[in-house]
Amino acid sequence: MNNNMPIKKLALSMLICASVLTPVHAVVTDKDIQNDQATTDDVVTYGMGLKAQRYSPLTAINRDTVEEVRPVWAFSLGGEKQRGQESQPMVKDGVMYVTGSYSRVWAIDARTGEELWQYEARLPDGIMPCCDVINRGVALYDNLVIFGTLDAKLVALDKDTGKTVWKKKVEDYRAGYAITAAPIVVNGKVITGISGGEFGIVGKVYAYDAKSGKQLWVRPTVEGHMGYIWKDGKKTENGISGGAPGKTWPADLWKTGGAATWLGGTYDSDTGLLFFGTGNPAPWNSHLRPGDNYFSSSRLAIDPDTGKIVWHFQTTPHDGWDFDGVNELISFDYQENGKTVKAAATADRNGFFYVLNRENGDFIRGFPFVDKLNWAEGLDENGRPIYVDSNRPGSPASSNDGKKGEQVVARPAFLGGKNWMPMAYSQDTGLFYVPSNEWEMDIWNEPTAYKKGAAYLGAGFTIKSVNEDFIGVLKAINPRTGETVWRYNNFSPLWGGVLTTGGGLVWTGNPEGYLMAFDDKTGEMVYKFQTGSGIVGSPVTWEMDGEQYISVLSGWGGAVPLWGGEVAKRVKHFNQGGTVWTFKLPKRYQQMAKH
Amino acid sequence: MQIVKLYRRFMGVMCLFLVVSNGVARSLDDIKDSGAIRIAVYNDYAPFSFVDNGVPRGIDVDIANAIAKSLNVKLALIWMTPGETAEDDFRNYLWKGHIIHRIKADVMMRAPYDPSFSQKRDDVGLLVNELVHMFAPYHRESWQILHNTETLPEVETMGMFQYHTIGAEIDSIPHFYLISAFGGRLRNNTSHYASNGKAIEALEAGKVEAVMGLRSQMSYLSQFVDGNKFQLASNAFPLIGKQKWDIGLAIHTNFRALGYEIGDVITRLVEEGEMAKIFDNYNTTYEKPPYYSAQ
Repeated sequence: MNNNMPIKKLALSMLICASVLTPVHAVVTDKDIQNDQATTDDVVTYGMGLKAQRYSPLTAINRDTVEEVRPVWAFSLGGEKQRGQESQPMVKDGVMYVTGSYSRVWAIDARTGEELWQYEARLPDGIMPCCDVINRGVALYDNLVIFGTLDAKLVALDKDTGKTVWKKKVEDYRAGYAITAAPIVVNGKVITGISGGEFGIVGKVYAYDAKSGKQLWVRPTVEGHMGYIWKDGKKTENGISGGAPGKTWPADLWKTGGAATWLGGTYDSDTGLLFFGTGNPAPWNSHLRPGDNYFSSSRLAIDPDTGKIVWHFQTTPHDGWDFDGVNELISFDYQENGKTVKAAATADRNGFFYVLNRENGDFIRGFPFVDKLNWAEGLDENGRPIYVDSNRPGSPASSNDGKKGEQVVARPAFLGGKNWMPMAYSQDTGLFYVPSNEWEMDIWNEPTAYKKGAAYLGAGFTIKSVNEDFIGVLKAINPRTGETVWRYNNFSPLWGGVLTTGGGLVWTGNPEGYLMAFDDKTGEMVYKFQTGSGIVGSPVTWEMDGEQYISVLSGWGGAVPLWGGEVAKRVKHFNQGGTVWTFKLPKRYQQMAKH
Repeated sequence: MQIVKLYRRFMGVMCLFLVVSNGVARSLDDIKDSGAIRIAVYNDYAPFSFVDNGVPRGIDVDIANAIAKSLNVKLALIWMTPGETAEDDFRNYLWKGHIIHRIKADVMMRAPYDPSFSQKRDDVGLLVNELVHMFAPYHRESWQILHNTETLPEVETMGMFQYHTIGAEIDSIPHFYLISAFGGRLRNNTSHYASNGKAIEALEAGKVEAVMGLRSQMSYLSQFVDGNKFQLASNAFPLIGKQKWDIGLAIHTNFRALGYEIGDVITRLVEEGEMAKIFDNYNTTYEKPPYYSAQ
């Protein structure tokens, strides 16, 4: 038992007083979810709290004790489906719930690593998910384990048996939709986004009743599409996103505008708002769609009760580089001139770090978090990028027949200064720990491109590293000043999530296979452990039987190895895997840490 | 085990029951031993490959049948969901296998036959498609417009679509062309539809005055509309890249012997006029690839 327990007990007793109807046996309640960040004995939300700060107050594993950390069990995800484990484990009452690639879920005894049950979604034959076969985790609510599948369904399983309780088709996979993100639960509503191929889909945010699976509302993220809300089971019109079609799109391209909500969202209980990011507009070639293309490459604040858009902030208007705006928006408070600023921060694919007022979406400040970017000179006073027009990829239509067009070098590359992998915010240091990558891309017009037996002028591109000795950089960034307090350079691209703790540590993994811990103030690496395959998942920590545990999935995959070129050479020898690794200190150190 | 089970299920869908060890691309000897050849065709892609009342039909299906017959084996069709580019389809159906169930085909239909494509090199000088052998061109493809002669009697140039409306299938080359070429001047008159069939319905309903698509598809679809009212145009398509290109077959590069055998079958079909007949059965314009004229 460490010194966080009294608070936990107090919280628990308040919970029981607050609602006599709340059963005391082990189901996940709204309160558990809302308090997840403060409670150390469970992990019941993706992001370790709905704000997704990925901060735990646990201190037993700290700068002094970390060198004694050792694995206690490892669990194989087995079979031939080893690639791409981007999941974050969840833990409740001594049971861990993890997802694996190919839409699989396991319940594991968190003390021993023994399997309790496994669920494998039956994926249809004709399925063609756009972007690897990964899944990022489950949501827990009541007695349910809820997750999204590659064929765009939400499935709720009984937490004790793994049997299906309800299953809903969110979208038709044949139209190009899939779900890979972890859903979140806010006040009994399970809320999810959607993934999709490059063209023809429209991004949306969906809310369902978590217990029954009944749909509550749907909000399209492309200007011009009608939202719906279900009142007494009846589908009712709920306002057109952006008011009317075609204001920021030419012709009828808004009908298929993209803006997929493929990374899910976060929630802030202070403002009562959901924050969802949106992907790039479609089609990819920006010369086909002059205009800002709302609400692509944006952050949207959505009312969880009504499904209405409260505010939006567009990071890359008229995106031409595939700079999806999906990266997580993390709510945090800071003091300035004696006042509390209710802020939220995001590190965008486009290489800029944004601090916004989370109450109204106003731009507070922004700065590059990558070493260099060349597609924009900077941000104006509203946070809109000042473009360098010569670094916008050209229109294939303007190239001469049969010739390779002019080459443009854009930095960062389309995989972004930071991709999906979540950063962490420490309440102790006030710093964000950002997994970033330094790479650029060459883009040119490609006269010899074919699609479905038809010839066309396409765009060719290749991702290149900028530095000989590193691509990935873990950075400690001060959101008030833009200062990089420390950095750790990694040879291959970083693609895993970050965790920070009250013990003064920052945890992440790399494709080389190491789980690593850094001193949160100096960036000194104080621990590393080789997991046998690349880490592209997000670590978590929790407390069980008075001891602090750390868990992470190992299993190389995701988007990086899917692209060729120079970067692929750095990563192609990494072996695939599929293992949950769990660590703790020997028991005697927990006793020491108490004092 | 899982893969074998999935594979059997997949085959069941196509009404052909075959038991093979697994989904890897195979040599000519292995194909003959197993008694069946797996040929990949695009899903729902009339007039080339589609399912009509539960029966696979189309030009590519007929050619695939002719190949199987010549090799004296049964035909097992693998239906492809297209990726964004031909390279994606090679990966998914010839050398790496489908992303979920890892099934591969022995032969893929509708691969480009274009030396500048098959010999394309990447930024570090390596062949982009080194795992794939592209061969046996079987027809020459182009673009065409089907138009409403009542409101648009003649399509002299693409310039007409600054003043007249036109439709195309979403995510298709004609769609990209119509909204990008000529500085976007045709963009506001362009509508996109979920399929060519839907675009033709809009043409018949008077919602658009023309539809642009592959010449094969437009000529095939023109038989289902009123021939007095809707006609195929003969205009050019400036700025579209290639005006004409050849379509052939692809196999895994390790199985060249299979390629020679099938290449002979295709040559015979083209030179004896069988190929033109297959196209004619679907009311689809046929043009012989120049590869055969040179011989």
